[in-house]
Amino acid sequence: MALRLVTRNLRNRISPNLCSASLLHSHATSFGFKEVREEEKSQMVGKVFSNVASNYDLMNDFMSAGLHRLWKDRLVSELSPFPGMKHLDVAGGTGDVAFRILESVNSIRRRALQDPINDDLQEETWIHVCDINQNMLNVGKNRALERGLGEDKSLVWVQGDAEALSFEDNSMDGYTIAFGIRNVTHIEKVLTEAYRVLKRGGRFLCLELSHVEIPVFKELYDFYSFSVIPRLGEVVAGDRESYQYLVESIRRFPPQEKFASMITDTGFQKVKYENLVGGVVAIHSGLKI
Amino acid sequence: MYRTVVNRILLSGGGRRLLRQPDLRTVISSSRFSTTTETQTIPNRPLNPPDSSSLSSSSTSFQTPPAAGDVPRHERKNPRAEYEGEQARVLQASLRHVLRLGWSEKAMIAGAKEVGISPSIVGSFPRKEAALVEFFMDDCLQRLIDRIDSGEELQNSTPSQCIYKLVRIRLEMQAPYISKWPQALSIQAHPLNVSTSFKQRAMLVDEIWHAAGDETSDLDWYVKRTVLGGIYSTTEIYMLTDSSPEFRDTWLFWIIGERCF
Repeated sequence: MALRLVTRNLRNRISPNLCSASLLHSHATSFGFKEVREEEKSQMVGKVFSNVASNYDLMNDFMSAGLHRLWKDRLVSELSPFPGMKHLDVAGGTGDVAFRILESVNSIRRRALQDPINDDLQEETWIHVCDINQNMLNVGKNRALERGLGEDKSLVWVQGDAEALSFEDNSMDGYTIAFGIRNVTHIEKVLTEAYRVLKRGGRFLCLELSHVEIPVFKELYDFYSFSVIPRLGEVVAGDRESYQYLVESIRRFPPQEKFASMITDTGFQKVKYENLVGGVVAIHSGLKI
Repeated sequence: MYRTVVNRILLSGGGRRLLRQPDLRTVISSSRFSTTTETQTIPNRPLNPPDSSSLSSSSTSFQTPPAAGDVPRHERKNPRAEYEGEQARVLQASLRHVLRLGWSEKAMIAGAKEVGISPSIVGSFPRKEAALVEFFMDDCLQRLIDRIDSGEELQNSTPSQCIYKLVRIRLEMQAPYISKWPQALSIQAHPLNVSTSFKQRAMLVDEIWHAAGDETSDLDWYVKRTVLGGIYSTTEIYMLTDSSPEFRDTWLFWIIGERCF
């Protein structure tokens, strides 16, 4: 066991630069298992999400048997939102994570109002939802109205690119990206931008589909991914291609440890990850100090 | 506990405790980040004394060790010390808000704001309020050790007097927080936190016995610490409802309790 650890460390130490450069390059030019030009990837991903936007949440429910709700709940409880927080949810188009954060903050606020000792809640909570795809944002805005959060001024919908955010340095207490980082062209740029906009003490949290290593479960998961999901996409959303891209892009994304080391390289500290459902999903977190 | 046993073996009778020896953790490096996952475990370094995982003190005499349940590894020493140092600063500042806000996340958020760090950092503490309480316990232990090392009060005392003085010093450190101490005790008793708080109390009791000059190395070693731990805890609980000036009744309670044993 110790030997495996040592060799793994040696391997990591000897060729981290070579490894990460080639991995990043391959991520930038991979569209699932297809090879594309870097400049094209962003456009192709954009088309995928424009196609799936209207059925996005329904498909999520189908594919994960409703589990994605629990995963997002877990992400938000890891975040521990507080009133007065300035938060940025990237690639959060349909608003799932943002709504949860807002509801959590509101419930803390309600509880605090019952408490006579009540100071500095005057500070405004801002939850920015940033997405590159306007269709996804529109779906999100409609969902907010349905949930009765349409009038809540804390929610701010912004169209923008995760690789080049329009927010100021050191302006955010929290940064989340749920099921979005897989789709970007340059992961390291997104991480750098995240680091830039976070304040000191701010946390980066990433919820993403990841790699399963458990022997029998891995085979079952692969079967489910490659045989069931594209078929489901075809039947429910009428779009097999997009869901084929989805499952392929999961496999091309760096595994948990690799991604964690990328986060550490950006400058985050106390980087750790937590596997859910045996590695189907992982929550990576980092602290900016 | 283990550390003091090892120290006693290494030292020849009655030398200084080597609690401040350079920590073996920094010599051995392994992978750079921690996981809290059910599948991935990075093995704990075998030479790491198990009880040190509970310490989160920022005092320079202890190498700042990992928080309980969390196993951070960073190859560069400075970044690791940085976030742990900042966490300690936040916790220290939070203590000033405890009387008003209790041992709670609110106090920690207030502490973070006071220090100029985003309150998001509170989310990164493994068990939030428990982290604050454990920090305080470690801090008190450290201050107690400093008092022991400075040595003036314990000269020419019998072991029994020594123990009385040390327990009194230690309980007086809690006196400023006594109105909120029941909350701290209930946090410590929570199943998730009970193992860490048990370890901290074990260390405290061990330190006190060691300062009183205890040299036993048989079953008595355990018996003495268990008994002291028991009397200490009951005295602590008695103190919660003691409204006599300067807790006079509590010290009386202690003396009676000790006589019984």
